[in-house]
Amino acid sequence: METTSPTALTDLVRRAQKGDEDAQRELIVSYQHRVAGFVYAITNRSDYVEDLSQQVFIKMVRALDRLQAPAQFESWLFRLARNTCIDQLRRQKLRRIFLPFGEEHENIPEPAGAVDTEELDALRHALAQLRPQDRALLALVQEGRSHAEISEILETSVAAVKARLHRAREHLREHYQPTHET
Amino acid sequence: MKPEDRAWADLQRQAAVHLRHGFADRVLRAARGPRATAWRQLYEAAAARLRPGFAERVLRAARRVADLPSLSSQLALSAATAALCLGAVLYFHNRALEQADARNLAEWQKIVDAAREIDTSGL
Repeated sequence: METTSPTALTDLVRRAQKGDEDAQRELIVSYQHRVAGFVYAITNRSDYVEDLSQQVFIKMVRALDRLQAPAQFESWLFRLARNTCIDQLRRQKLRRIFLPFGEEHENIPEPAGAVDTEELDALRHALAQLRPQDRALLALVQEGRSHAEISEILETSVAAVKARLHRAREHLREHYQPTHET
Repeated sequence: MKPEDRAWADLQRQAAVHLRHGFADRVLRAARGPRATAWRQLYEAAAARLRPGFAERVLRAARRVADLPSLSSQLALSAATAALCLGAVLYFHNRALEQADARNLAEWQKIVDAAREIDTSGL
């Protein structure tokens, strides 16, 4: 929603809250690419993107009337997206306890470099080395969320966010070594 | 060139052979971390995974989910059914007890009457 002013966005959210389907559709279309990228950054799995993005927007449509401050829509949406991704990864981890052979089937490596550029491939490789929580933190920064907003989303202090972000960036840089390149 | 200088140059050449092509770029990239373009490519790759008609599919799915009874309403219905069953069991149990009591009292009354009759006839 880069081109929409905050007032227009607030109006759109208010209309969507009243059940206006056109407004809901407009919100989805406006944010679908950003949410998809966000989901990809956290899960590092392109095959999760469509399903998880869909889950995020279904939750959005269903819970929109409970959003009390329409101006906070973006923060709220990315909090939903973050929690949906983290829940999915937790569920997947739990499933692995009961289905020990599932991991091999779930973690089939994507064909790196098939369509990716070298830069994207290196970024994906580096992200894969990070914890999902740290990937979420970096993705929130990429989404332009401020430290204060991130601290609200993660329900922690701004100082803690800064410290965690510093560590996450260090780790990302550390693993952004193209050692897997040919 | 002195022999030791030549040896140093040989050493450097030998070491340089082990550096793969694009070494400087890799070092710079590792030092800087991923650039904004890498993140943009990641987002573009993700966006490309969404099939056309994504918004319509989401809205349809949201409507379907909305038509389903919520978990709380399902729980309330289950609780109400359980309460109704329990109430019915208690009601029939009480009725059966009352009927058994009435039957027993009638039997006792018969015995009492018979005993009274024996008493009066004996006198």
